[in-house]
Amino acid sequence: MRIERIGREPDFSRYMDLKEGWLDRRIFSDADIYEEELYRIFARSWLFVAHESQLPNAGDFLTTHMGEDAVIVARQADGSIRVMLNSCPHRGNKVCFADAGNTRRFVCNYHGWAFDTAGDLKGMHEEYCYDAGDIDFKNHGLKNVAKVGSYKGLVFATFNGDAPSLEAWLGDFRWYLDMILDNEEGGTEFIGGCIKSVISANWKFGVENFIGDAYHAGWTHDSGARSMNNGQPFPPIDMENSYHASVNGHGWEFGTEGVGDLFLLGRPKVMDYYNKIRPKMAERLGEMRSKIFGSVASASIFPNVSFLPGISTFRQWQPKGPMQFELKTWVIVNKAMPDDIKDEVTKGVMQTFGPGGTFEMDDGENWENCTTVNRGVVTRHERLHYRCGIGRQIEHDTLPGIVYRGQYNDANQRGFYQRWLDMMTHDDFGKMPARPEPRLGNVAETRDLPGLFAL
Amino acid sequence: MTMTMTMTDTATLERPAMASLELTHALTQTLYREARMLDDENYKAWTDMLAEDLHYHMPGIETRYRRDKTDQVTDLTRMAYYNDSKPEILKRLSRLDTGTAWSEDPATRYTHIITNVEVEHTEKADEFRVYSNFYAYRNRNERDEDSLIGNRIDIWRQTDSGFQLVKRRAILKHNVMLSKNLNIYI
Repeated sequence: MRIERIGREPDFSRYMDLKEGWLDRRIFSDADIYEEELYRIFARSWLFVAHESQLPNAGDFLTTHMGEDAVIVARQADGSIRVMLNSCPHRGNKVCFADAGNTRRFVCNYHGWAFDTAGDLKGMHEEYCYDAGDIDFKNHGLKNVAKVGSYKGLVFATFNGDAPSLEAWLGDFRWYLDMILDNEEGGTEFIGGCIKSVISANWKFGVENFIGDAYHAGWTHDSGARSMNNGQPFPPIDMENSYHASVNGHGWEFGTEGVGDLFLLGRPKVMDYYNKIRPKMAERLGEMRSKIFGSVASASIFPNVSFLPGISTFRQWQPKGPMQFELKTWVIVNKAMPDDIKDEVTKGVMQTFGPGGTFEMDDGENWENCTTVNRGVVTRHERLHYRCGIGRQIEHDTLPGIVYRGQYNDANQRGFYQRWLDMMTHDDFGKMPARPEPRLGNVAETRDLPGLFAL
Repeated sequence: MTMTMTMTDTATLERPAMASLELTHALTQTLYREARMLDDENYKAWTDMLAEDLHYHMPGIETRYRRDKTDQVTDLTRMAYYNDSKPEILKRLSRLDTGTAWSEDPATRYTHIITNVEVEHTEKADEFRVYSNFYAYRNRNERDEDSLIGNRIDIWRQTDSGFQLVKRRAILKHNVMLSKNLNIYI
């Protein structure tokens, strides 16, 4: 990490007042703020890099980005996963040019420097040109990230050696994550392929939309909901029995009716499948979580991963400058599902949340216009309203996190920007407040919590 | 050297069962008419050209090394922009009839350019394989603009009411699709 970015603790607090519920528009287009985000958020957070199912065999690799840094994610012979910069230490060229594949070596096209899948330098073109003492092979491998971890199939990496453990980073949010990652024996996998698109909008608009913006869904996506279900409108929202839950900037908004997102997918066979396994899900995760899964819901993992439990789109908003992101999307399914159900889910996801999907088509344009219009030199100094539901915080016996009642709410968005502000402001992770204090503590497995969070 | 995303198993100069000038002309005109219906957003007329047993496929293509044998083109279990039956296409299109497809109003301005048409007979007397290339141009709002370019391989069936599209595989040449959405049929 560049030294000049650390040790001066810049003051970003003037860009928002989350107790009052407003944001300054400049955070969505300002180039200096964006650079600071790359250092203080993307270079220091745990970032999603792969699902383990994408790398089943030794030598399997994929390439992705951590912030704007290009990285390779590779399965090792011992089964572990390494993440390293996709950049040769000689002149900096890429050493891997494919999105995914299987290999023994990553070889630079420029001078033939060759690295094994752990990133160790193994040789180069005309090796004799280096005299003794010119180069120490041991110190000229591909730079590995500081830490790699995985949680129930999701692989994360961080450049930050001082980052807390992945378990602590996800914290109590694991209780929610298990609804999508562990609702059936065998866990999850990604369907083959990755669909990517480019949206000329600030990356935070994608994240905040999925972290809490149920409010937009019934309006923006009226046409999507009706097209998937023979003209039937968006399911009604029960403001009494739906919630926002925020944990250190991660967030999940959800109902408890169990069927809303499954309905929106528009695939009756998938609805039937989940209804069939729901009693087992209740045994596995408790009654409450079996009622949340499948409801109208959306979620984001700080800083830039989102998904729809029940609709099964899984996505990452990769920053490409302050006013553009690349949207990478996958389909997440339970391994135990029969092939025809996996096929139904995949088709349903692509027909709703693929680039040609009936929901997705109405989102990008909103975010692009939010970004470009907010940039106007006069416009950018006007505040944006994030106050919806600000008085509805509750204590809940069952639900971990900072919980608000009513899924039409800006609470999770405020939670996301609070974490953004914490990371932009503090050099030391230890000084960042836990929001909220964790309940799960050292609990390693949320399934082992009968009673603690029982309904 | 092999390409990792060829349209056919063996791309050669040999042209099996070359179609007559008349048939080639008739199918070429059909492709042009179809493109005109799509440019005009005349989806009623377009879907009338689709057979009831249609399969419409546009796979997602990743960048892979030549040695990689992953079947990115014909493996239908992989993610795809489109992997649709006719009822599924009609379902997507029904969004336009709701009156609330906000991003379709103002309308997108479309132009489909269809070239490189080749027509072949198949094992079935009434079905024909048609290769073509597409250039689909979109412009919308103040200055949104994009170009989608690629190859198509179709099966068209001769019926009493004209030719109907039975199969289409359209291969968009993008890795990252350089647009915010795909509110278009190719």
